[in-house]
Amino acid sequence: MAKQLFEWDYASYPGAKTYPHLFSPIEIGNLIVPNRIKYAATEDNLNQHDGFVTDADVEYMRRRAEGVVGGLCFMQGVYMDPARKGQGYVGQAAAWDDKYIPGLKKIADAIHSEKAVAGFQLMDCGRVGAVEVPVGHGPSAVPQRLRIFKPMAEMTNAEVKEMIQQHVDAAKRGAEAGFDVMEISGIVGYLISNFISKYTNRRTDEYGGDIRGRMQAVVEIIQGVKEAVGPDIPVGIRLCSEELLDDVGGNTPEESMESYKISEEAGVDYISCTLGWQESIFPVISRDIPQGNWLYLAKRAKEHVKVPVQMAYRIFLPQFPEEAISKGELDMWEICRSMIADPLMPKKVAEGREEEIRHCVACNLCLARLFRDAPMTCYISPVCAHEHDPAFFPTPVEDEDDKKEVMIVGAGPAGLECAYVAAQRGHDVHVYDKREEIGGTLNEASHAPYGDEELMTCVDFQKTMCEKYGVELHLGTEVTEELIEEEAPDTVILATGPVYKKVPGADENAKNIVNVLDVLSGKGSVGDKVVVWGNRKPGIGVALKLAKEGKKVTIVGEEKSAGFDINPSFKWRYMIYLRQNGVTAYNDCTIDEVGDGGIVVKTFDGHRFPVECDTIIVTEREANESLKSAVQSEGAELYVVGDALVPRNLSSAVHDGYRIGLRI
Amino acid sequence: MPVNAEKEITKLWKAKQGAQGEICNTYYRWRDFALGLAGENADPMNVALDAAEAFGRYIGKGMLPRLNLLKGDEAFIGMVAKQLAATWANEGAVVTVEPGEKPTEAVIRCKRDTWPTAAKTFDVPMEEVARTREKLFESMLVDPSVFFNKPLAIEMQKAIPRGEGEWVFKLYMKEQ
Repeated sequence: MAKQLFEWDYASYPGAKTYPHLFSPIEIGNLIVPNRIKYAATEDNLNQHDGFVTDADVEYMRRRAEGVVGGLCFMQGVYMDPARKGQGYVGQAAAWDDKYIPGLKKIADAIHSEKAVAGFQLMDCGRVGAVEVPVGHGPSAVPQRLRIFKPMAEMTNAEVKEMIQQHVDAAKRGAEAGFDVMEISGIVGYLISNFISKYTNRRTDEYGGDIRGRMQAVVEIIQGVKEAVGPDIPVGIRLCSEELLDDVGGNTPEESMESYKISEEAGVDYISCTLGWQESIFPVISRDIPQGNWLYLAKRAKEHVKVPVQMAYRIFLPQFPEEAISKGELDMWEICRSMIADPLMPKKVAEGREEEIRHCVACNLCLARLFRDAPMTCYISPVCAHEHDPAFFPTPVEDEDDKKEVMIVGAGPAGLECAYVAAQRGHDVHVYDKREEIGGTLNEASHAPYGDEELMTCVDFQKTMCEKYGVELHLGTEVTEELIEEEAPDTVILATGPVYKKVPGADENAKNIVNVLDVLSGKGSVGDKVVVWGNRKPGIGVALKLAKEGKKVTIVGEEKSAGFDINPSFKWRYMIYLRQNGVTAYNDCTIDEVGDGGIVVKTFDGHRFPVECDTIIVTEREANESLKSAVQSEGAELYVVGDALVPRNLSSAVHDGYRIGLRI
Repeated sequence: MPVNAEKEITKLWKAKQGAQGEICNTYYRWRDFALGLAGENADPMNVALDAAEAFGRYIGKGMLPRLNLLKGDEAFIGMVAKQLAATWANEGAVVTVEPGEKPTEAVIRCKRDTWPTAAKTFDVPMEEVARTREKLFESMLVDPSVFFNKPLAIEMQKAIPRGEGEWVFKLYMKEQ
C-alpha cells in the first residue's frame, strides 16, 4: 500500500488549474508524491572540503524544498569512498562514514520542514572525479580527453565489489538520516555511466563485455540498495538515454534503452532520462538548444519501460512537461538550473505568479564555476548560494527618516534591478530613461543569434517586480543637470550603460562606421564585407548575426582570445559557431588605420596587414562618466552600476544593481 | 593604406624561422643539461629515448580533442597521420601525408627536416636523431590507441639522419 508523507491540496492554487497534470499525484514505488515536480540533485560546492554538510547547503536546500511545493527535492549526490576517488567537486557532500549522518539529517529535516519529499543521491563521479587526489578510478584506464580531469586507474574486480558495497552502505546512511527516496546517479560521465558505456568499459571480467555485462555492477547496486533500504523507500536511477559519444565509440541509443530495461528488471522504481556526457562534443543544455528539444527521448524511454520516467534538460517552462505528461510521454518534471536561478520557480507556477519567475538564461555559468572549484553562482540571481546569509536579502528601512528619494538613470537591467530592490525596502524610487522602452542595450543585444532572445526574460521579471513594489518609470525622459537639480533626489544611481569607443585613426563622422546597437536593431546600414571592432561577447553576437545573413565578417579585438568574457561552459559553442559561419577573428590586435575599402590591422607585436571591408561596426565600450560631476555638485549620494561603471555583461549589471539596491 | 606587404611577410617569415630553429636548439640545450644531471654513466641514447617517450605521451594527449571516429577508420587514420605531420611541420619540417596500401594505413613523408642540422651543432649522433623521432611518434600514439580502442602502430621505413634522403613512416591500425 503506497503512502503519502505530507498532505497537499492544490485546489486553491491557480497554477494547479492551468497545469492539472503537473499538480496531480504519482506513485513512485510505495510512495505517493503529491505532484510531478522534482528538484534534481545538483552539486553546489557549498559543503566543507572534507565532505561535511554546511549550514549554507542546508539553507540552499531548504529554499529549493519550499519551491517544489510538496514534490521531490534531491540533495546533491554524495561520494562514498574514503579514498575520495569518487569525489568530483571540492564541496561535494560525503557519505562514506556514519560521522556524516548528522549533517545529512539536517538537510533531510530542512526538506521535510517544507513538507517536501527528501531525495538522497549516490554519486561516484568516476571519470570526472578525483578532484582532490591525483588519480581517478573507473572500469578501465581510458585516458582523459579533457586535461581538466585526472588520469584514470582501472579498478580491480575486488575494488568493483567494494564500490558496490559502498553504494549500499551510503544508501543505509541516507535512510538513517531520514531521506525518503534513493537515487543512483548514472549520468554525464560519472562512474556508473563509465561502467555502462563501451567507450570506457573494456573489462573482460563479469563487469564488462556486452551491455548486460557492463550493466552487472549497476544491477548489483540497485539490488543491494533496495535490500538495504527496504520496500518503503523507492530507488531510482538517472541514466543516459543517449551518450552522444559516437565520436569515441560510445553506446548506441539501442544499448542505452537496453540499460533502461535492465535497470527496470533489477527493480528500480523510476528512471530519470538524461543525455550526453561532459565529454560529448554536442551541445545539450546551452541556450542555443531550443526549449523542449529533448522531450522525444522521454517519450522513447516510456516506450521501453513501465516505471515512471522523469526528465530535465532545457525544460524551463511548465507548459512543456504539462503537455508531455498529458500525452503520456513523461511522468515527472525534473528541474535543475531553473531552480538554481529561482528556487521558488514551481511554487510561483502553482500560485499563478509565473511573471515573477526569474528565469534561467541557460548560460552554464553555474557549471563553469563548479568545474573550477568555486561555490555555486548564478549569472542571473545574486542571491543564489547566499540563502544562509541575511545580508543578501532586502531588509525594510524601518525609520521614515532613512527612506530616500532615489533617482535611477537608466532602465536597463542594472537600473531596474536596483530599482525594485530599493523600492521593496521602502525607498521612493524613480527610474528615468531617454528611451521609450525599458531594457536598455539588452533590447538590441537580445537580437544576437543562438538563443539570446531568452536574455530578455530578465527584463520581463524586473518589470514585474518594479510594478509590484511601486517603482515609478519616467520613460522618454533624458536626465540632465537641470533635472537633477530640480528633483533634488537623496540618491542618484547612474545605470546609463557604456559609451562606445572611437575607432582609432578613423574620421568620427565616417558613414561606414556603425554602432553595434544600430546593427542589431536593424537601423544601421551594413555592406557585404564587415569588420567588427571588439572581440568580446557584443562583437561575437553581431558578427554571428551578420555572418548568418551572408556577410563576410572579420573580428578585430584587443583581447588575447575572442569571447574571453563568456564563461567557458558556453564559450566553446560560440567558437564553433564562428568557425561554422566563416568568421575570422584577429585577436590581440587593433585597428591601426582606416582607409577607403578597408583597414590596416596591427598585431600586438607590430605586424600590419590589410583587411578589406566596407563597414566597421563598433562594439568596444568604456565606462560612462556623464552626469557624475552633476550629481556630486548637487551633494546627492552617488552610485554607478552596470556597464556605466565597467562594461561587462548582463550578469554583472544584475548583480551590481541588486547589491546597490540593498545598500542604499 | 600603405602596408608594405613584402616587408610585413618578411618580418613574419623570419620570426617563424627563428622560432622553429629555437625549438631544436632549446631541446638540445636541455639534452646537454639532462646528461649532466644523469652523470657520466648514463647512456645518452636512453636519456633521449626516455625524453621522447615523455614528450610523445604529452603531445599525444593533446591530439585527443582533435580526433574522432565519426567518419570511420579510414578517415581516422588520416586524421592521426595529419596530427603527427602537423607537429613536425611546426618544427620546420616539410611533411606530406599520403594514403597507404590499405585503407587503414597512411604514409608520412618528410623531405626536409631541421632536427639533423641542429643535432650536428650540438654533436648529437645521427642515430639518436632517428630513433628519437621514431620513439616520439610511437609514444604519441599510446593514448589515442587506448582512448579510441583502435590499436595504432608506426614503422620507420627511411630516415634522413641515416642518409636515406627522406623520412618515411608507415602508420597503420593493427588487427584486433
